[in-house]
Amino acid sequence: MAQYEEDNAEFYVRYYVGHKGKFGHEFLEFEFRPDGKLRYANNSNYKNDIMIRKEVWLTPAVLRECRRIISESEIMKEDDSNWPEPDRVGRQELEIVMGNEHISFTTSKIGSLVDVQTSKDPDGLRIFYYLVQDLKCFVFSLISLHFKIKPI
Amino acid sequence: MTTAEAEALDFEPEDDDLMDEDGAPDADASPRAPLPKLKSAITGGAASSSLAPRKTKGRGFREEADAERNNRLAGRDFDSLDTDGGPGPLRSIEGWIILVTGVHEEAQEDDLQNAFAEFGDIKNLHLNLDRRTGFVKGYALIEYENFEEAQNAIAQLNGTELLTQTIIVDWAFSNGPSVRRRNMRKRREPRGHRSRSPNRRY
Repeated sequence: MAQYEEDNAEFYVRYYVGHKGKFGHEFLEFEFRPDGKLRYANNSNYKNDIMIRKEVWLTPAVLRECRRIISESEIMKEDDSNWPEPDRVGRQELEIVMGNEHISFTTSKIGSLVDVQTSKDPDGLRIFYYLVQDLKCFVFSLISLHFKIKPI
Repeated sequence: MTTAEAEALDFEPEDDDLMDEDGAPDADASPRAPLPKLKSAITGGAASSSLAPRKTKGRGFREEADAERNNRLAGRDFDSLDTDGGPGPLRSIEGWIILVTGVHEEAQEDDLQNAFAEFGDIKNLHLNLDRRTGFVKGYALIEYENFEEAQNAIAQLNGTELLTQTIIVDWAFSNGPSVRRRNMRKRREPRGHRSRSPNRRY
């Protein structure tokens, strides 16, 4: 069965965004592990210096939806070689394993679509830009509903 | 390289079993830390060894990862709610969360309210939007206060049609690993404590 195969295919997602500045290393990171564990870490030293670290097991249904969001974005066809390099302002990392493909993209922080349009690969970077927002939105909903915290 | 193999375990469910059995829930932080390359973290995974060689792409593979990167999500001090480790849905802090997928891109919150309020008071409804199109992304998360309400909604609405599309309704959170491995060891022991203890190396 296709669904069965899909559920058993390797799947891993990790996203990181952060920078090091006068408040130390501030970052947000989450990962979907192959066994269904969602891990979320958020370290902001600005107002308090408490690192938020949460983890919860997800059902296959949630992993399937996450996989759908990624597949439909077609991010796996992109390449980060012409994206802005991570810099002092910050870095983003997106690592995905799906089937027999494994991407590990890095780039700078993207302030707005203007940064995307003026980059050397606006089409690819736009896909990254929106996918990251969609994934964050999904994770924030999951974490905030489960733990009743405001993720950011 | 041997560190790669040790690291690969970190993504296997049985790694957690090991940790629970020897009473050191944070042991997986140790093999993780010294790993120099991000790449090794996953391509070394035992589960993939039988598959065709994995195609890799991206600058992340060409950079030396700082030790910090490998530590950020290492297994220590992650808060989680109590779980018995067994299969089945997991209660969230104020209720039970279900996931609806296959939601029509033009669905409104009212459409979901109308369908799902029949089984109980909806405490929370997240109907997230596609950031590019502004339409509904395709899923909704719904919170009920009681287990039975959520269970009934799943039983009655899974596979039904909402705005011409078939929706899938299921639990969102689980008590334990969602993917069974062929070589999986004994089920994990119940984890009674709410949060993990500090890393034993400290």
